[in-house]
Amino acid sequence: MPTTEPREKFIVPIGPQHPALKEPGHFEFTVDGEIVTGATARLGYVHRGIEKGTEDRSWVQNLYLLERICGICSHSHALAYALGVEKLAGVEAPPRAQAIRVLVAELERIHSHLLWLGVAAHEAGFDTLFMYSWRDRETVMDLLENLTGNRVNYSANVLGGVKFDVSVEQADAIRRGLDFLEERTQHYLTVVTTDSMFLRRTRGIATMSKQQAEALGVIGPTARASDVPRDVRVESPYAAYTTFPVEAVLATAGDLEARFLVRVKELFESYRVIREILDRMPAGDLTARMPRRVKEGETVSRIEAPRGELFYFIKSGGGDRPERVKARTPSMFNFASVLTLAVGHQLADIPMIMAGIDPCFSCNDRLVVVNRIGHEADVWTWEKLRQYGIEYYRR
Amino acid sequence: MKFATMLSDLWESLRRKPITQQYPFERTKTPEHLRGLLLYDPTNCTGCGLCVKDCPANAIENIVLDKKAKRFVVRYHVDRCTFCAQCVASCRQECMKLANDMWELAQLGKDDFEILYGAEADVQAVMASLANGGSNGTGEPK
Amino acid sequence: MNPLIALLIFPGGLFLLLLGLAYEWVDRKLVARLQNRIGPRWFQPFADVLKLLAKEEVVPDGANPFLFLGLPMVALAGALTAALYVPLAGLPPSYSFPGDLIVTVYLLSLMTLCIGLGGANTIDRFSLIGATRTLTQLFSYEAPFLLALLGPAIVVGSWQIGQIAAYADTRLLALTQPVGFVVALIGLMGKLEMPPFDAPEAETEIVAGALTEYSGRGYAMFRLGKGVELIVGLALVAAFYLGGVSDPLSFFGKTLLLLVVVAALQSLFARLRIEQTVGLWWRYGTLLALAQLLFTIVTEVMV
Repeated sequence: MPTTEPREKFIVPIGPQHPALKEPGHFEFTVDGEIVTGATARLGYVHRGIEKGTEDRSWVQNLYLLERICGICSHSHALAYALGVEKLAGVEAPPRAQAIRVLVAELERIHSHLLWLGVAAHEAGFDTLFMYSWRDRETVMDLLENLTGNRVNYSANVLGGVKFDVSVEQADAIRRGLDFLEERTQHYLTVVTTDSMFLRRTRGIATMSKQQAEALGVIGPTARASDVPRDVRVESPYAAYTTFPVEAVLATAGDLEARFLVRVKELFESYRVIREILDRMPAGDLTARMPRRVKEGETVSRIEAPRGELFYFIKSGGGDRPERVKARTPSMFNFASVLTLAVGHQLADIPMIMAGIDPCFSCNDRLVVVNRIGHEADVWTWEKLRQYGIEYYRR
Repeated sequence: MKFATMLSDLWESLRRKPITQQYPFERTKTPEHLRGLLLYDPTNCTGCGLCVKDCPANAIENIVLDKKAKRFVVRYHVDRCTFCAQCVASCRQECMKLANDMWELAQLGKDDFEILYGAEADVQAVMASLANGGSNGTGEPK
Repeated sequence: MNPLIALLIFPGGLFLLLLGLAYEWVDRKLVARLQNRIGPRWFQPFADVLKLLAKEEVVPDGANPFLFLGLPMVALAGALTAALYVPLAGLPPSYSFPGDLIVTVYLLSLMTLCIGLGGANTIDRFSLIGATRTLTQLFSYEAPFLLALLGPAIVVGSWQIGQIAAYADTRLLALTQPVGFVVALIGLMGKLEMPPFDAPEAETEIVAGALTEYSGRGYAMFRLGKGVELIVGLALVAAFYLGGVSDPLSFFGKTLLLLVVVAALQSLFARLRIEQTVGLWWRYGTLLALAQLLFTIVTEVMV
């Protein structure tokens, strides 16, 4: 055998079933010993045809369908949709409702970041931090259950406002819970920034400079960790963020440690905003009158989900069903950064790099049909979509 | 740079009980606003049908026995319900309520997942007609 | 004692296997309590082994079936044989000959070698990477661990475990050779692939490392072997450094005390990458063990 032959490619498949991934997705890493030399990804295992399903349901029913795109950012999806539909119909939800919406959104952000902290620690093999941060997450889930009635899928929004009010006892319970969580978060900040064994797994890994971050188009806390100040709550405030402003948390290092730092510090920012909302809750109604048929038009609605910017495009044909709803979720852009950053790192760093962008596979799966030039535009019916899905997985 | 930063947590865990709640031997009290099983009160119902139209899961059917006398029976499919409380928000007469203590809803047979709500005589009438093979109301699953 | 009984029933063989399961339970329960959880009930490891024995053993494509089915048996046999030369349950070692310290340590390594070979036997990516990591880790902690065990050997002037244990019976060598004690204990954690040295078995990166393809009886034998290795390792360290294990009370007391320390160390740290493990051992572990050894030799010569 000639010695100048390139070595055989050794491909390590991560997924669709793998302990590192919480949801199915397929990644192929070409490895040379322990160093990664190439990466590709294939997603689409959780595609459920939700965007097509919105066309068959009325405006109200869609609120609950879209809420179930993702379990951790469910309120964000419902909020973006509700804001968009209200914009189309020309209805403005009353200030108290907006404040309660922001309250639930910030509680959801706390929940999401604590969950992420545990998962990222588990990927690093630090099971103790995983167990403790999830134990503390139970506090915020109990608060949400107390307030909204369910631990996940809060169903807080109705078109035009919110469903429930915050009583004085609930506000006190939230404050007590936040006091406990703030103390614990301070402890986690210390652990994440000073524990030397943990820092060996996170400092200097997957560094992304500011230019790289802007070129790759990352958003959310991943971008803020590389000093790119993108935060929809600051750039174009929606709901009650005009009354209760938030500051974007930035970090300059751009490595994994910076991503940990940004998310943990965002927790403190959320605690502050929630306390402010509880102290200065505007009085008023909970809902505004909403017509059954929404005026014709198109609109765009952007909010800051825990993972980044969530973007909704809603088109109405004047009836009681939407004509098209498109949800563009934040994790989709951050995946490209994983594939670029993984090259040159050890195989053992791959789960940490993937956890660093906080991937949410359920939000991601889209069907894109690329028509070559010359073909007519195609409209797919539900049946055709279903048939395609069945054949896709037979391969 | 510190070593073993979580030592204080470990020490504290040895002194407290484990945080695990050993369900079903231990149960916490459910919060007041928990969204459990749907309860329907026919007293004020006008038969507007908004709850039927707005339900995202087509879990509510309104069976009209006599529209003028306001005799309605609601056929509620527990297995389709997502407990979203949209029906509670849609109903202007406040006929709908979600219980906060009935949330352990597992059943052994599919028939137990259909609940008929209404005045006693009306419910009997509907059950008789359903047993005879008639089917009323809307709600094909999509 | 009748040699067959010593080998198969007590204190080797069946007794040792059950004791290994019991120690595994103590370890899991301690780690769980340190993480504020409840942890498994007392019969859990036993139930695990029973369940595994009831499952079908699947020989994957591309693996040599002879090796695949034989390696777990060799591993378990190696671990059980190593137990013959170690004082267990308060009794002196069943067999003893000069130089059996080296033989015991290498019989324990036989098990790690079998895991590595078992992983390399398949064509599965995860097993291959796991096997590479297992063997890399074997090369890194073996030297410091052996050097740390040599400290007491030098003081006694013998390479026979029975004699060293008898000498160390009244003397707490952990006080005169503290560095060696620490290196031996942490080396034991590396040998058993316990966190933070569990890179060869990193669940979130390579599923189960070299043992990914094993199921049923083979996997049960590997797990039993690990339990036996745990006891033999703890017995060695306790006998050498903590003042001997000449009666049952002191055997169980001292090994359980060491197990508590090991469980606490397991919960405190994040997993190290394989090259960080190797760096740690060759830079700090070996140097510390060598320094301790040098110090011991010098004081022996002077005294």
